[in-house]
Amino acid sequence: MIIAYSFFKTLVDSEITVELKNEVCIRGTLKSVDQYLNIKLDNAEATDELKWPHLCSTKDMFIRGSVVRYVHLPSGAVDTALLEDATRREAESAKNKAK
Amino acid sequence: MSFFGFDTTLPRDQGHSSNAPGFGHHDAFASLGGGAADDAAIDFEETYDGLGDQLDETDDAFNDDTFGSVPATQQTIGRDFDFAGQTSMISNTLQEEQMVYQARHPASQQQRPPIPHASKPTRTGYENYHDPDYIPQLEARADIWGLKPKQPSATRQPEPQQQGPALSRKMMSLEEVEAMMRQHPVQATPPPVPQHVAPSQPPMPSHYPQPIPHAQPSFPGMPGFPGQFQPQILQRPQQQQHHAGPSGPRQQQVHAELPGQPVHPQPPQQPQQPQQPTILQRQRQPNELAAQQQRPAQPQSQTQPQRPPSQPRHILQNPNRLSGHGQPVAHSGHAGARGPQQGHNRGPSFPGMVITHPEQLMALSQEERDAYIEAEAKRAKRNHKISLLAKDNGLMTPQDKNFITRIQLQQLVSATGNVDERGPEAAIAEDFYYHVMSQIRGGARQNPHQPANQFAQTYLFQTNSRFGPRRNGRNGDNHMQRMEQQVQRAVEAAKAKPKGKQLVIEGSLGKIAFSNAKTPRPLLNIKRPETGDKHPKNHKSSVAHRKQTLRNIEAIYMTLMRIEDVDRAVPPPIREDSSPEAIQAHMEWRSKIEALRKELWVNLKIMEPINPQSPTPHPFISILSHAKGKKAIQRIFPHIDEQERITVVTMIVVHLDQLSVVSHGTATPEEPLSPAMREEIDLFLGTVIPPLFAHVSESPLNIIIGLLGLILDRTNMHVVARSKVGMSLLTILISRAELLKQSAPEATTDWEQWADLYNRLFDAVEPVLPFVFPGTINDTEDMYIWQFLAAMGVGASPEQQQRLVIGVKDRVMETVTVSKALPADMAGARLANVNLFMRAIGLDVELLG
Repeated sequence: MIIAYSFFKTLVDSEITVELKNEVCIRGTLKSVDQYLNIKLDNAEATDELKWPHLCSTKDMFIRGSVVRYVHLPSGAVDTALLEDATRREAESAKNKAK
Repeated sequence: MSFFGFDTTLPRDQGHSSNAPGFGHHDAFASLGGGAADDAAIDFEETYDGLGDQLDETDDAFNDDTFGSVPATQQTIGRDFDFAGQTSMISNTLQEEQMVYQARHPASQQQRPPIPHASKPTRTGYENYHDPDYIPQLEARADIWGLKPKQPSATRQPEPQQQGPALSRKMMSLEEVEAMMRQHPVQATPPPVPQHVAPSQPPMPSHYPQPIPHAQPSFPGMPGFPGQFQPQILQRPQQQQHHAGPSGPRQQQVHAELPGQPVHPQPPQQPQQPQQPTILQRQRQPNELAAQQQRPAQPQSQTQPQRPPSQPRHILQNPNRLSGHGQPVAHSGHAGARGPQQGHNRGPSFPGMVITHPEQLMALSQEERDAYIEAEAKRAKRNHKISLLAKDNGLMTPQDKNFITRIQLQQLVSATGNVDERGPEAAIAEDFYYHVMSQIRGGARQNPHQPANQFAQTYLFQTNSRFGPRRNGRNGDNHMQRMEQQVQRAVEAAKAKPKGKQLVIEGSLGKIAFSNAKTPRPLLNIKRPETGDKHPKNHKSSVAHRKQTLRNIEAIYMTLMRIEDVDRAVPPPIREDSSPEAIQAHMEWRSKIEALRKELWVNLKIMEPINPQSPTPHPFISILSHAKGKKAIQRIFPHIDEQERITVVTMIVVHLDQLSVVSHGTATPEEPLSPAMREEIDLFLGTVIPPLFAHVSESPLNIIIGLLGLILDRTNMHVVARSKVGMSLLTILISRAELLKQSAPEATTDWEQWADLYNRLFDAVEPVLPFVFPGTINDTEDMYIWQFLAAMGVGASPEQQQRLVIGVKDRVMETVTVSKALPADMAGARLANVNLFMRAIGLDVELLG
């Protein structure tokens, strides 16, 4: 399983900012994520509504994972030590599979 | 289409609906009944149920009236009217408007539907009739109502509608109808709606033949009218029409317009025609089902010439809203009776009675009226919802749905990772971060077998990075607090003994002058080692060395995680009565974890020979120079035995001045630490020192002596004493020794040894005292220094205490001065720090005030 998926699942219900590949920045509450890292946002709003006024009326969004460039996370919700370990485990399992 | 004015649209819609399965109306019903059955395997049904629950079940009975039996309705509806589907868009708004209007004008509720007509009817209604095509439609509608027999009521046949019209035409011509109506008008003389009622009737005739039967029974007043009329108009309407035939049907609409006019007799007939169609349409929407049901009954009505009371007319008008109710009337004979119930599976929406006639409504008590209105509102709302839902029905074939379902199932399986099949460990391995995180957070535990505690221990307590720097800081504080406590305990214990206090008190402040003479010397000493030590180290670590160190760290972590995995799988402890298998399992587990621990110890590289000449630091020390290496220490400690812990502590102590946090951790007010170094030091204090501290605070005196001796022998005290880490470690050692001394005061050779060491330490530290403060007087992070001074002061002889005071006297005075200008709480904190030291040597800041 992709570690990113595992990771984002823990961020459900926290507020994130999604930066899309077309420069649009959307802030909202992460409602769900799937293994393609498609993102569902509630209470979504563009960070710069002047720049993207067409997003003003959209409050709930489904963002296809492939159009996401960055996701800004709340640092308090991330356990880096745990994340490191999870990464190690994934690398290890990938290594084992390769063998 | 749905309403009176939109006749033109009807034909298309009908065609679509009947032929195309995809239409909205079909779907709506499909979802309710037959459609759902087809999709049984699919989720949609569930979805629908949920929605259905939200709807008022109490009104379901009327649904049948409105829609007819589910399967049948789809087809029939499609042909006859599109209310649910095609018209849904319009009908929704119309319904809403109706509702609103009803709410506003409860008394005139029935009129609402007509309202739109009222304006149009006169014009459009007639036009429609003129149009040849239009008539057929009407007939088709008649089928719905009265002609059921032709079409399988439930079956979805587009033809029936057409047939109906044809029949109706054959049955009666307009003239015939009119003639009949003229005969009846007298009877009908419906008081309620004299004006337009008549007009509506004319159209009816063509359809009447079939529908009439129904109406007749219900409306005795209709005698004159041919049964044909009634059926066409809608069975309910029939009643009205029969009686009021001419005048009645439009009454509602007309009422609004022309309340007083007795139009019933002749003229109305023609005008009525347009109206009738409209009425029919409305009725169909709600009455579709009813119509079907009624159809069989219609014949009866035809035969029976009944003169309907005024009510029937109203019914016609109302049909749109009341259609459900009205239809039933036909069966029961009176408007009040509920016809629909018979045919419907669901209970009546409006418990009170079926209202087909506006007057009925008027006759009701306010409460009843309200209830009725409410029921109607609910029904309309529900219909609206269904139509909304039904809009997209049928877009997906069952294959599509199955396909989607399969995909979803697959995702579900991969998402949950087949936990049951592969066991919790596999799930953890697959979804490590999520599992551990959710357990740590105390979220719903997905797998009861999982040992949340161990995860929590590992990641909450053995790593400090959980909440980022914040957490580190807190842990650091924690550690500092404990150290402070230890120092304080030492101080308290020392104070309990009458130990040359007086001397100190007297001399401390007075002898400052002559002690100052010593300060110059330390200055020189300090600078040298500092400059000599600082830089070489960075260059030593080559890229290869760094890489090797990182690899070592990773190896440690991998081993750690394997150990933790095995730890989680610990078998139940062995008891005497344990089964051989259990013992076997336990033994295997023991051997496994032993092997892993050995591996961990090897990976620590701590047993590599110390080579002072080596250009690179010891591998273990190199590990400590990386953040993640520091973090590992805390997790390693629980997995190594006592001897190994001592080894680790010793290793660190021996190389104390080689640790980057010490060698680069000295600062002066002119040259403060870089933020990165600060962070590193904090991390070290938060991750490495606590386990060391925990270990030292349980160590016997000989260990302390050994460690302190190593520091004095092997390290550059000038550097150590000026770094936060070094000073903290010294504080730990000294205060521990002091506590031991007070708890076990019996003099042994150890204590003599300790006294020697202490004196050496004092001599080594004393010259540095003026420089131990890294920051200016405004730097508040000096608590660890006061702690160190306090720890030193407790064990110091009176003479040493004086030297101590001399060394830091300036700082003490400055701090006291500065704190006078500070807010109370800050000043209190700073003075408390100073006081920690002052009280250790038997003084108090108060004395300086």
